[in-house]
Amino acid sequence: MNTVKRRSFLKTSASAAAVSALPGISLNAQETAAPAATVVVVHGTDIPKMLAAGIAKLGGWEAFIKPGMKVAIKPNVAWNSKPEQGGNTHPDLVKACVLAAEAQGATKISLPENPCHPEKATFQASGVADALKGTKARLYRPAKEDYQAVEIPKGKVAKSANVPKDILECDCLINMPVAKHHSGATLTLSMKNWMGSIANEDRRAWHRDGLHQCIADFSTFIRPKLVVIDATRIMLTKGPQGPGDLEHPNEVILSTDPVAADAYAATLFKKAPFDIGHIKLGHEMGIGCGDLTKVKVERIEV
Amino acid sequence: MMTRRNLLRLVLFVAFALLALGVLPEAWRRWSVLLPGLSPLLGLGGALAARSAGLLALLGLPLLVLPLFKGRFFCWRLCPMGFAAEMVSRLNRRNTGLIRRLPFIGKGLALLIIGSAAIGWPLLIWTDPLCIFNGFFATWRKPFTWLSAVTASGFVLILLVSLIVPNIWCHRLCPLGGLQEWITQLGNRLRAARKPATQETATALSRARAGRRVFLGFALGGLTGVFYRHFGMQAAATVASREAAASQRGQGRGLGRGRQQREQASGEQGTCGHDHDHACGCGSEHRIAVRPPGAAAAGFNARCARCGNCMTACPYGLILPDLGSAGIDGLFTPVLAFRSRNNQQEQFCFQECTACTQVCPTGALRPLTVEQKQQTAIGLARVFRGRCIAWEKQEYCVVCQEYCPYHAIIEVERNGVMCPIVDTDKCRGCGACESQCPALPIAIVVNGRSRQPILAHPSPQL
Repeated sequence: MNTVKRRSFLKTSASAAAVSALPGISLNAQETAAPAATVVVVHGTDIPKMLAAGIAKLGGWEAFIKPGMKVAIKPNVAWNSKPEQGGNTHPDLVKACVLAAEAQGATKISLPENPCHPEKATFQASGVADALKGTKARLYRPAKEDYQAVEIPKGKVAKSANVPKDILECDCLINMPVAKHHSGATLTLSMKNWMGSIANEDRRAWHRDGLHQCIADFSTFIRPKLVVIDATRIMLTKGPQGPGDLEHPNEVILSTDPVAADAYAATLFKKAPFDIGHIKLGHEMGIGCGDLTKVKVERIEV
Repeated sequence: MMTRRNLLRLVLFVAFALLALGVLPEAWRRWSVLLPGLSPLLGLGGALAARSAGLLALLGLPLLVLPLFKGRFFCWRLCPMGFAAEMVSRLNRRNTGLIRRLPFIGKGLALLIIGSAAIGWPLLIWTDPLCIFNGFFATWRKPFTWLSAVTASGFVLILLVSLIVPNIWCHRLCPLGGLQEWITQLGNRLRAARKPATQETATALSRARAGRRVFLGFALGGLTGVFYRHFGMQAAATVASREAAASQRGQGRGLGRGRQQREQASGEQGTCGHDHDHACGCGSEHRIAVRPPGAAAAGFNARCARCGNCMTACPYGLILPDLGSAGIDGLFTPVLAFRSRNNQQEQFCFQECTACTQVCPTGALRPLTVEQKQQTAIGLARVFRGRCIAWEKQEYCVVCQEYCPYHAIIEVERNGVMCPIVDTDKCRGCGACESQCPALPIAIVVNGRSRQPILAHPSPQL
């Protein structure tokens, strides 16, 4: 059932890419023939509208969520930091996604998040707890029993991890990080965002064993249906906690390819994607395409 | 058989136990200060020792005045500790006469406490019954450790003694009872004095003797206080000199950046690599207990009543009773146990939290605002480069920098990898770095400070 959906989605997105490529001005033949991935970049200030426009470009919510599905969203709500400080995914973006999932008839919407700061203060300060009031979404810190140990067959270094059951058992997994500077991983984008859901002991082990390789390893296992990167404001320094220097690209980045989305987001920080270890590894391991010359970047203004 | 009097006592017992247990909603929890605050030995004693009284000290006034008119009304009608001791005493109907042969030790204790508090070094305030009661119930919080159960020992001990010698606590040992006994006698005297010339000489005689006893008690308390203060100061001086020695080795306060740069260039840091109390004389890593924020600089061990309120109040279970690292007179006083001391612990002293500072009945912990808390350094982190993933293995890490709320980790590049150094002007010792350090063993460890300096560098989180 899943594969059918994925295939139909791929078709729509590919045709959308092809259509938009037709009046292309300076695109060479290779690219028009087969873009390895598509990244939709929506520029604007009205976050819910930006998300809606981006999703429409990717084939609409129907391509991702069908009635009766269980949806899991992984925002980055790790720090006791206010929305305007850019330490966490913007609450408006999380809310817009949750409301859309509800409208699509999702039966269960869970947001398991293992924050670095005490959860109550963090969920409150981030604005996400308030944003989710009145919805059926549940933002929570997974307890021990909410985790399940899984094997990572394709992992080179990280061979196993404890992952929240809601993430493993959902029908539609959405990765919704915020783009920001990160002292250890250079940048934290979508692939790095999964470290916010796994158990603390796994996080520590990943740092010991080689951070970038472990991030890439885990991404061979976890395959989100959709990646939405919040780049409405990006923290350039003092990440991941902040407060640091901010810039306001006012962008929301959407893709089905986490490596491509991360590669594009890296350019906002004026970094070459392959200078970020885990993006390079992700590309090499075939998780996605980090080579932006082979990625179709579609820009929308809202 | 439940009389009305005992029903009220039972209700109070349960109510105060719930307060001390910390199971009530958060808005209620700071009222856990109410019961120990009622004891003038704690509230007023603490204020007397600190030479400054907060509003909290007023809570102790009723028990100073009430006995003048009502005798030991509080003891027989309200006190939850007394209720428990009396109920247990009833189980033993044989040795009821035993206590008649004993002097009222509590009366002496009360004088000792007040006398020593007056010179700024209160002794034995942890014998206060309300504090012992509180300490028992403050124990059963999550996460429970056997270490935290230590605060329960006083309560159990009282019940055990009461079982062997019935009523011994209330009638012979309790210092709060002793204090009220003195005040009751004073009340009786005052009333007797108002009736002219009806009292015989015996009263006058006993009055004189009582006065002498009170004076001697106070003086003895004062003297013992002076004695202990001397040793307390000496201990503090030793701690301070250890700190100075540590700072000379590159991690203390007041160290110039130039020195740090030079050290990091050479990639070494004067350390013998020890992470425990030891006597090798390197002076670098003798561990000093990390106190909760707002801890009194002088005489903390003396002013702390061991009521356990701060331990219950801490939402993260960081505060545990000390078992000797703060000196023998610091036994069972609160210390923060970060992950290197408690491997179950993954939390740190969160920058937004001031819970423990709000519930101290003696003022050993001063109430702090969030702003004050964030400017107060309770400890100082130290990097052990030999264990550090970045320094030693040249891997991407600096989790310490990620977690530090105060931007106190300086990153220095070494072969393309960022490596951590502690900025001693910014480190508050909150333990965030230690809470998630992935190195085995933990490569960044927080040590306490002999006093808690207010840092000039503003907190970035404010």
